[in-house]
Parts: sequence; structure tokens; C-alpha cells
Amino acid sequence: MLSVFRLAAAGIALLATMIAVQAADPVVIGLEIPLSPPGDPASGQLIRRGGELAIEYINGPMGGVLPDRKAALAVQDSQGRTESGIAAYRRLVTEDRAVGVTGFFHSSVNLAVNEVAKELGVPTMATQASASDITAKRYDVAFRTHAIDPLRVAAFLEFIKLKKFKRIAMLAETTDYGIGIAEETEKQSKEQKLGLELMTVTFDHGSTDLTPLLLQVKAFKPDLVINIGVGQPMDLMIEQAATLGITPQTPMLVSYDAPIRPQFWQLHPKTGAGLYYIAYYSPKQKLSDAGDWLTKAYEAKYNESPVYSSLNGFGDVLIFAQAVKQAHSTDPKAVIKALETGRFKSWTSSPVTFPRADGVFFHNWSPPILILQYTSANQDWKTADVIVEHAGTQ
Amino acid sequence: MFTAELLIQTLIAGVIIGVLYALMALGITFIYSIVKMINWSMGEFYMIGGYLQYLLIVEWLGADLWWVAAPLSALGVFLLGYLLEPLLIKPMFATAVERKDDYAIVVTIALLLMLRNLAAALGGPYQRTPGSNLPTVMLGPLPESGARFAAFLCALAAIVLFYLLLKKTWLGLALRAAAQSRIGAQTAGVDVFRLDQIAFGIGVGLAGLAGALLAPVFMVFPTSGAVTTVKGFEIIVIGGLGSIPGALIAGVLLGVVESLGASFISAPYQNVYGFLLVVLVLLVRPTGLFGERMRQA
Repeated sequence: MLSVFRLAAAGIALLATMIAVQAADPVVIGLEIPLSPPGDPASGQLIRRGGELAIEYINGPMGGVLPDRKAALAVQDSQGRTESGIAAYRRLVTEDRAVGVTGFFHSSVNLAVNEVAKELGVPTMATQASASDITAKRYDVAFRTHAIDPLRVAAFLEFIKLKKFKRIAMLAETTDYGIGIAEETEKQSKEQKLGLELMTVTFDHGSTDLTPLLLQVKAFKPDLVINIGVGQPMDLMIEQAATLGITPQTPMLVSYDAPIRPQFWQLHPKTGAGLYYIAYYSPKQKLSDAGDWLTKAYEAKYNESPVYSSLNGFGDVLIFAQAVKQAHSTDPKAVIKALETGRFKSWTSSPVTFPRADGVFFHNWSPPILILQYTSANQDWKTADVIVEHAGTQ
Repeated sequence: MFTAELLIQTLIAGVIIGVLYALMALGITFIYSIVKMINWSMGEFYMIGGYLQYLLIVEWLGADLWWVAAPLSALGVFLLGYLLEPLLIKPMFATAVERKDDYAIVVTIALLLMLRNLAAALGGPYQRTPGSNLPTVMLGPLPESGARFAAFLCALAAIVLFYLLLKKTWLGLALRAAAQSRIGAQTAGVDVFRLDQIAFGIGVGLAGLAGALLAPVFMVFPTSGAVTTVKGFEIIVIGGLGSIPGALIAGVLLGVVESLGASFISAPYQNVYGFLLVVLVLLVRPTGLFGERMRQA
């Protein structure tokens, strides 16, 4: 009889130890980013910086997530490949027990992961992936805090109307991102009856020599070239278009905010001036108190100002932490419900919400979209001219 | 859109990129002809050549001395290959390894992964460029970047020098002897293991030279060699394994076919046209345009 009591006592002690260990376990937020090619590792690193500082903010000024449980970040490299992205998501969910996974940069990766997330139930949050289908598929698990194709293209067209351009050449990589933007541009220009002559040339993301394509573009004599490449092809296009004499006579618009990165002028010391590019943040914007905290912490740690990738990486991790806090639970269904019904603080001054809206706006929040221009070589992105400011979904 | 000017521009662009492809392929075909193995890590030696060029120019020499940096980078890659060969490749011949081809595949793919990850760990995943001060040149109706045109001329010069090395020197004679018959060369007193070491060094050195010359054109990053490996293998299949003139002609052919296809058929399939050419050549002439049938005991 005594041995039965001893056994029961030992069992209770073991259970108590397990509960205590579980209570001390951190709430893990997954970060899935491209840290190696063919993805865009520069963006991945910038998102990571923001995500890591978000954890400091959550465990510091925010006061943690759940009682006695701090937040932690688990990071995986998607390599910009769908198969690696899916494996990374599975590891974050099954091994790290992440309550949500964010950081997504490449649309193709995010789209593929969402198909798995639909089965596993752990929510995803697109940090810089803009393909419409990420939210237009209306999956309960899929959220986004980034400019979507329709808004981005609306900004393009506002710029095109402002400059009175008529012949537009688009060079788009054959990814969900590139094709999505090219098709949306064709669609919106038809809907708005702008009378544009559009030339769309698509190319493989792995191409290194874009000369034959650019020769076609040159023969078309466009008023504007839209560069819809990501990472290396975007950089190669800037250089090779300048060599062929397309730019600077014909302006080029880069479809995302790569030119604000520190290494931009190292890669394009002679060809970067005059370039137009999309951006989602200007230092002139008013930020939330969390955004101000991040700016100070980032400048102290990295000796440079944060860019949008870092700001949004920070914001997305923060949003997941707030959703867990509001749900009082790490259960994925409770977190999803909190995301759908709550209002969240991010880096922007206005709150973030994820309504079950129509089409692509389902579970989607977008920052304002800016079109900036460098007017001189080695110009600081913070002083770039703001040509267009298009409202997001705030 | 089709115009005569566009056709000429596309042809010139194709020939230039084709010669650069040929330089990338030359090392693969040369190593195969002497050491009788396929080096799958060739693209990584190309990548190392690019990084060395970047370091030399940015840290010490400046962009104007690119022509000093390029041979130094190639020399650096040669030395790396020369030191690695006894460790990784020689055991294949010096010991009784039964399945030499399998051994070579495993060892060189492992080397590929190691060098690629080492580059990412040491230099980060970012793209880099050593920059160039060379002005744009006009090749008929085609404006071409000075760096790419210089790389084209240097690639032609390197191919000619390499050809002369093989045809006019004692080392070249020994290398050709080993290429024809390792046992025959050994019987004549040639140290074939030493030749293997030199040949491996020269082969990867050629890839390193290509990487150095193309660093300002295509930029440098840890996986920048991946495309060159694929192009290199396409070229040696088209030109014939072990044939130097074959590598040059196949390189130009590949460059022209890709450029014309991308310009006048469909750009997204630019990399597919090369494979179609490979299939066509294999159907018509399985040994490649300049390859020869070999008999093995």
C-alpha cells in the first residue's frame, strides 16, 4: 500500500515539474525569412533585425505576453524556395511550437506555406509578400500587413498619370510576385481606360543576362520602364538598362523598396540617380510609441535608421504577441479569433485591424505606398523626393 | 518585334556572352580530359574568383587595376585547387577506389556545399560588386558595358594562351599525353599524379578567372556559381567532352541561341533553349560536335 502512495506521490511530483517547466516555456513566434539565395537575403536580414528587437520590446516595455511566459523568436531560412519554405514552416510549428509564423517576403513561398497552414492551423502573417492570392483565397489562417498588388499598382498608375506617360514597358520575373503585378497593371489600366500602350516582358528569376530582353524594350521606345525583379535580377536590370542607353533617358520605376538599403549605392554608384521606387515608409511619418522605441533601439544597435522591412518585421511579431495576450491563450484558433476581432499596435501611428473584408482585402492591412525618387548619386533615402503618396488600408 | 538592327544587336550580345560561357566551361572540360572526372564544384571556384577580385579591388588595388586583380584572383584559385587536389581527388587514383565516378560526384558535390556555405558565413548573403571605371563601348549598333567587353577580350586571350600552353610547351605535351593515355604517360616516366594536381589547379583557375572578370558584370554572392556550372555542362555536352575548340564554339552557339530565343521567341524560356540545343546535338551526334568516341578496357 505504501508503495502505491509513493508511486502516486512521485507521479504528482513529476506532473508538477512538467507543469512548472511548461509555465516557464516562452511563447514562440516563428520568423520565416529568406536568408540565402535564390531568395533575397538582404530583405530577410532586415526583417530579422526588426523581429529580434520586437522580442526585446515585448519582454521589456510591453511587459511580456502571458503570465510568467516571455516571448521568443524562432528563425528559419526559406531560401525564397517553396519547398524550403514549407519545410521551414513545418519545423517552426512542430518543433518550435510557434503560435504564429511571420516574416514572409517571397509571395510564392507564402502562397505555398498557406496551403500547409490551412491544414496545421497555425496562422501566417505576410510581412512583405504582396501577391493577391495570399489573402484573396480567404483562408482563416492567412493574414498580411503589406501593400497588396492592387494598391501598389494603383500607386503606379497615379504616378503614370501624374507624369503623363503613355508607353510603358514592364519587365517582370516569372514568379507570383512578378506576374501578379504585371497582370494587375494590365487589368487596372484597362479598367481606368488610360489608353496606355503596355509591353510586358517576363523572364526567369535565375536569369543573369537580361540584354536580349532589354534590347526588345529599347526598340519599343517606352516612356517608362517598370522593373519587377526581386534581388539580383532587379539589380542586374538597373545596370544593364543603363549600359544599353535605356536609362537615364527613359525613367525606371523599381517595384519595391530595395533602393533604400545600405548596399544600394555600393551596387549602383553610377546608375542609381534618377531612379523611381516604391517605398512604404518615410521618416517624415508619425510613428506609434512602439515605432519610436524601435527607431531608437535600432539606431543604437545598428548605427543606421530602420527601413520598412525592419519596421514591418517588428510590427508583425508585436501583433502576434498582442493577439496571444488578448486571447489569453496560445491556441491557434484563439489567436486567429483575436487577430480578426482586435486592434493592434504596430510601428505606424494608426492601429492595425484584420477585417474579414472582400477579396484581396480579407485579413489585410496595408501601410501607405509612396513613390520616391533619387535625384543625385549616394543620396540618403531619407531625403529622396516623395513623388506620390497613395493611401493604404488604414 | 523584329528589325534588322535588333537582330544584329542580339547576335553580337549572344557572341559576347557565349565566349564568356566558353571560358567557364573550359576548366570543366580540361579537368575531365586529364583527371577523367567531372568537377561539380566548378561554379564555386568561379564564385571564389569573383570574391577575390572584389577583395583585391575594394581593399587594395582600386577599380582601375582590375587587370592586375584578375590574374591574381585566378592565381589564388589555382593555388586553392592545387592544394585541395591531393586531399580530395588523388585518393581516387592512389588507392583502390572501385567506383571512381561515384567517388568524384560525392566528393565534388560535398566540396560545392562546403564552399558555398563558407562564402555565406564569411561574406554574408549579400550581392557585391567590385565596380568598374571602364566606359561603355559601341560594338556596331550595340552599346556594351566596358567591363563586359573587357571580360570578353580577356576570355578570348585566356583561351588562346591556354591553347598555346597545351600545344607549345613541355607541360602541355605531358598533359596531352596523360589525356590520351594515363598508363602510356606513366610508362614514359610522366608523374601523372603531379599532372593531375596541376591540371586541377589550372582548370579551377580558369573558372576563377571567369569569376574575376565577370564580377562587375553579374555581381558576386555565395550562389553566383550555380548558373555557370549548368551552362558549363551544357557547353561540354554540345562541344564534346574534352575538346577545347568544341568548348569555344559550343559556348558561342549557346549564347547566340539563348539570345535569339529570348529576343524573338519567348524570354521566360531563355534557359530552356540551351537544353533544347543539348537534346538536338545528342540526337544527331551523341559525342558532341567535336567529341570523339573512346574505347575503354
